[in-house]
Amino acid sequence: MSNISITDLRKSYGQVEVIHGVSLDIEPGEFVVFVGPSGCGKSTLLRMIAGLEDITDGDLEIGGTLMNDVEPAQRGIAMVFQSYALYPHMTVADNMSFGLRMAHAPKDEIDRKVKDAARILQLEPLLDRKPAALSGGQRQRVAIGRAIVRDPDVFLFDEPLSNLDAELRVEMRVQIAKLHRTLSNTMIYVTHDQTEAMTLADRIVVLRAGHIEQVGTPIELYEDPDNAFVAGFIGSPRMNFLNARANGPKSVEVAGRTIPLPNLTADLRDGTALQLGIRPEHLDATDGVRLMMDVDVAEDLGATTFVHGTVGGETLVAERRAHVGNAVRELEICFAPDKVRLFDPDGARVR
Amino acid sequence: MGVSKTKQPLRKRGGKARSEERRFAFLFVMPALLLVVVFRIVPLIWGFVLSLTDARGVTEGAFIGFDNYAELARDPAFHDSMANTILLIATLPIWIMVPMLLAILIHQGVPGGKFYRAVYFFPATLSSVIVGSIFNVLLRNDGQLNQFLELFGIGAIDWLGNSNTALLSLIAVQLWATFGMSLLIFLAGLSTVPSDMIEAAKLEGASMLQTFWHVIIPTLRPIIEFVAVVTTIGVLTNMFGLIYVLTAGGPGTSTTLPEFLIWIELGRMNRPGYAAAISMVLFVLMAGIAYAQVRIMSRNVNV
Repeated sequence: MSNISITDLRKSYGQVEVIHGVSLDIEPGEFVVFVGPSGCGKSTLLRMIAGLEDITDGDLEIGGTLMNDVEPAQRGIAMVFQSYALYPHMTVADNMSFGLRMAHAPKDEIDRKVKDAARILQLEPLLDRKPAALSGGQRQRVAIGRAIVRDPDVFLFDEPLSNLDAELRVEMRVQIAKLHRTLSNTMIYVTHDQTEAMTLADRIVVLRAGHIEQVGTPIELYEDPDNAFVAGFIGSPRMNFLNARANGPKSVEVAGRTIPLPNLTADLRDGTALQLGIRPEHLDATDGVRLMMDVDVAEDLGATTFVHGTVGGETLVAERRAHVGNAVRELEICFAPDKVRLFDPDGARVR
Repeated sequence: MGVSKTKQPLRKRGGKARSEERRFAFLFVMPALLLVVVFRIVPLIWGFVLSLTDARGVTEGAFIGFDNYAELARDPAFHDSMANTILLIATLPIWIMVPMLLAILIHQGVPGGKFYRAVYFFPATLSSVIVGSIFNVLLRNDGQLNQFLELFGIGAIDWLGNSNTALLSLIAVQLWATFGMSLLIFLAGLSTVPSDMIEAAKLEGASMLQTFWHVIIPTLRPIIEFVAVVTTIGVLTNMFGLIYVLTAGGPGTSTTLPEFLIWIELGRMNRPGYAAAISMVLFVLMAGIAYAQVRIMSRNVNV
């Protein structure tokens, strides 16, 4: 277990800066997920921690030691790649023991470590197979096994589940969560899938365009997003954003209706343009603000129905824990004002 | 439901439909098949029949059984050509290692890699007659190579006129002229080695050399075997032009390869029957080597 401390980390390719001064402290044993849309720099950041990308500026400390110029193999890390990166000509056992064999570790130590890792991941019957003879999920487990054998302080996962089908992804997600509980190592996990981030993370780091947008526990990000980007990225289906205008210090007007927001700490200036954010799952309250929605499409998933429609020209999605049916043309939606999140036109949160 | 209805009558006529389809498919394969039969199989059989006769140019040869093969077994020129062939094949590792190592260096991104790639490939575009003419000048007794060696106090060597150096000189020239193609094949192969596999090895503490040996070269194995087969066939069948221009098989028989011997027997001695017998031996030799190499290749097909 090691803590990781990143201070004002920057990465440039020539003149183009892609990571713009990221600072972050990761506690020992913490499971941190980097999440963001593609191109946000989450993988680059992970690769800088791994030592696969040079650090242009700033400090990276792992376990209290400055690691900027330390060889990747000496950083006490192990990485699981999106493509698994298994050696196709080696058996599962040889894949897992590669690092130890290259370091000329004693044979009984290699055997013991490979057996231990194989037991944790239920790979024992597969040790003599080659990667080509394994399924995607099995390959992924071998890749994780190879990381375990290295007995690292920190595990790095680079979108490890994105090559798996949906069902297997859920299964492997649970396996990784269990693994973290068993090994209790520090883990950093990169994904663009907010569900993986929500379910696995102790803390989520939301990145956009080389900046950290917000760091917090999954529930903090869900309940108390700092900006419209985080609010939209965390949660599925994404939060609805409606154009609003302040018409009193503690109230806004949306689609011709005045919505009182007594929980606001700030006073709004009359006439200010705002965005009102409300999650689909919060549009099913029993009392609060009531609005009529014109229904376009109802997607019935069995347990829940996502109703797509418009309110006063603004599109939005509402969730219903019941069958709605396709014939419905109008739906009453109702939400508690304390579930509303308010953002200014630039996306910053108004609290 | 509609699907199964339309399927049923089809299934009834299944046998007929399939044979029709097969006949149609055969039509497409036919032109290629015809070319192979007319230009490969027929000459091969014809060559074999010819090798059993004492044909001498214009005269229709009489059937003499395996006499030509018996004579081959006693022919010192043929023995020498076989010994030369063995020496040539023994240099095969060089033919593979040189382009592979250079390709790895270029792939690693040495400065000017693109320039080297072009320069190394350039000789492959030259005809063997031109290559031969160039090296005839360079390797002459008073040629540039000897002038260069003189700077280091090394006396002139008659590279092509000395039976100890002639074959090796020839091999070196052919290597220079053709390794660019192998280099390109290796570069193409290297570009398919996944970079995260190499990164994984780096993360696991493998040194550069260990990564080459345990990760890159095993991944390149099918490419190495392909280059080996193509190169073997190349050196056994494509060196005629160079031999003709540079040494004409001499001095003595020191640079006579089976291919050149065939031409001597056919063109100079006017003994097509005997030449055909040598061709058959060369064919069997190459088929054997190629078979062995393909066997090795298919053994690793599941990597």
